[in-house]
Amino acid sequence: MSIIEAAQNPDGGWPYEPGRGSWTEPTVFALLSGVGSGLSASSLKRGFEWLRASQNSDGGWSPQPKTGPSTWVTALAALLPADVLGEGNHRRSVKWLLEQTGQESNMAYRIRQWMLGNQNLSFGAEKGWSWYPGAAAWVMPTAISLVALRREQATRPSDVVRERIQSGTQYLLLHACKEGGWNHGATHALGYEAGAYPETTGVALLALRGVKAPEVDRGIAQAETFYQDPRAAGAAWLRLGLEAQGRHVHADSPPAHPRKFNILDEALYRLSENPDVLLA
Amino acid sequence: MHRREMLAASAAALSLPVACSKAPRKPSRISIVQVPDYTQDVYDVVRRIFQQHALNIAGKRVVVKPNLVEFDKTTCVNTHPLVVHAVYEAAKSMGAADVRIAEGPGHRRTTMDLAEAAGYYDTVAKFEDSFTDLNLDDVSLRRISSPASKLNQIYLPNTILAADLVISVPKMKTHHWVGATLSMKNFFGVVPGAVYGWPKNVLHWAGIDECIMDLHGLVPMTFTVVDGIVGMEGNGPIQGTPKRAGVLVGGSDLPSVDSTCCRIMGIDPAKVVYIAKTQQGAIEQIGEPISKVQTNFQLISQFSHLRVG
Repeated sequence: MSIIEAAQNPDGGWPYEPGRGSWTEPTVFALLSGVGSGLSASSLKRGFEWLRASQNSDGGWSPQPKTGPSTWVTALAALLPADVLGEGNHRRSVKWLLEQTGQESNMAYRIRQWMLGNQNLSFGAEKGWSWYPGAAAWVMPTAISLVALRREQATRPSDVVRERIQSGTQYLLLHACKEGGWNHGATHALGYEAGAYPETTGVALLALRGVKAPEVDRGIAQAETFYQDPRAAGAAWLRLGLEAQGRHVHADSPPAHPRKFNILDEALYRLSENPDVLLA
Repeated sequence: MHRREMLAASAAALSLPVACSKAPRKPSRISIVQVPDYTQDVYDVVRRIFQQHALNIAGKRVVVKPNLVEFDKTTCVNTHPLVVHAVYEAAKSMGAADVRIAEGPGHRRTTMDLAEAAGYYDTVAKFEDSFTDLNLDDVSLRRISSPASKLNQIYLPNTILAADLVISVPKMKTHHWVGATLSMKNFFGVVPGAVYGWPKNVLHWAGIDECIMDLHGLVPMTFTVVDGIVGMEGNGPIQGTPKRAGVLVGGSDLPSVDSTCCRIMGIDPAKVVYIAKTQQGAIEQIGEPISKVQTNFQLISQFSHLRVG
């Protein structure tokens, strides 16, 4: 039995750390890392049952069942293959994703900011996704949503999904850091240029697979620089991002010093060893 | 008059109700201790501050909440590990039943890597066994009875809610949205990222000053030791530059501690919205007088109006 399977809760979900309650995010990553290998059939069955049972009536997922409204973790669930998650469950999750945007792309908000003299305002077509309803769009939820919609478009193409992929892609390109790569999404504030993070650079490159743009080229260069540090934080995301951009990188071993076991980190590491789960 | 000045002035003039219920009736005792550098003396100083405030810790569950923000080699973004460890050791030596260090960084998800880069692994023995990532902790819903912000409820980590005493151990820094980040603003780090994301942008949309006030009212019994040995001036809380103030400031009334820190930094606390709305009553200063340690922290132009005088 793998250490991920051993950490599965009796309810079928996974916690962030063993012994805690089940959350949507580690459950999805545990399942993604275990689809095809790593988890037994019964573990997968219980995991998917937990996930299906915790889907909200609006089609989305909360971070933890009954923990507030549906949020960005819906995009994570939508990464799972529809035939395993359930065609109906998957279709409703995509519908929920298509209804979401960051508050800053609301036209009333943009006009108000323009009247207040906001210098960094954009009236472009870009539309990202927020971590939580009612807040602005950020890089990580936008990138994960884009990966989910690209997979959807590959199997069930539609104009509405294609348009949203375009506007989400625009969001990521506009929020690239000047030096290359991506941080959480605030690239400049009060006169300073903010630097990139490894984890968000990796996930953005994964989302921008197949996109030709200078921002992507600079992002690849930044990711390769980050990855030179064998213990770089976010190394799993970097590897996934670089693989998505056709850069085959050596699989790094987990951090040399002992770390508290965290299901999310472990599952991400395994996923980075088998990127085809997301790239196929 | 700037918007923030107007808010602060109107709060004072109209005596708006204070969001927190912890306003002290007696003068608030605030300690200022000169500490020129991060040496072993920090351990004695922290113990002395605890004794000055007769902290009753025996048998209690204590959470030490540092300010862990960003990978940084200049020692001025994150709370110095020696100060965190000194607070941790002082609580243990005074008989706490359990002491945990707990933090939920606002931008970075790689909390343990952040802690390692900040020197916490090197300073705190078996750091991982003593640490809780508040971003990934299990959570419970808390209603905000008289919200100052647009929130009327919020999920908080069970580690914080189960604590008998939460000790805020922030860095003394300027802040480019609210003027200064000290013991109260440090509680943004108890908001769980697993629910609200990285950054916890919901708090910005609900009003930053107002959320600081709401969180202060929600976190159970509190004490604070502010790391002002080397703080941050200019474009804080991340892009500023180191500023040596050479002090640790402690007390149980967080608005009064923050008010005192502002005076040390050359900032008028009555012009910092969340402090103006929460700080009440007199302050009993012990230790060094403010005049002896006061040193102006550089302010970005947007906050130049906060300067004392």
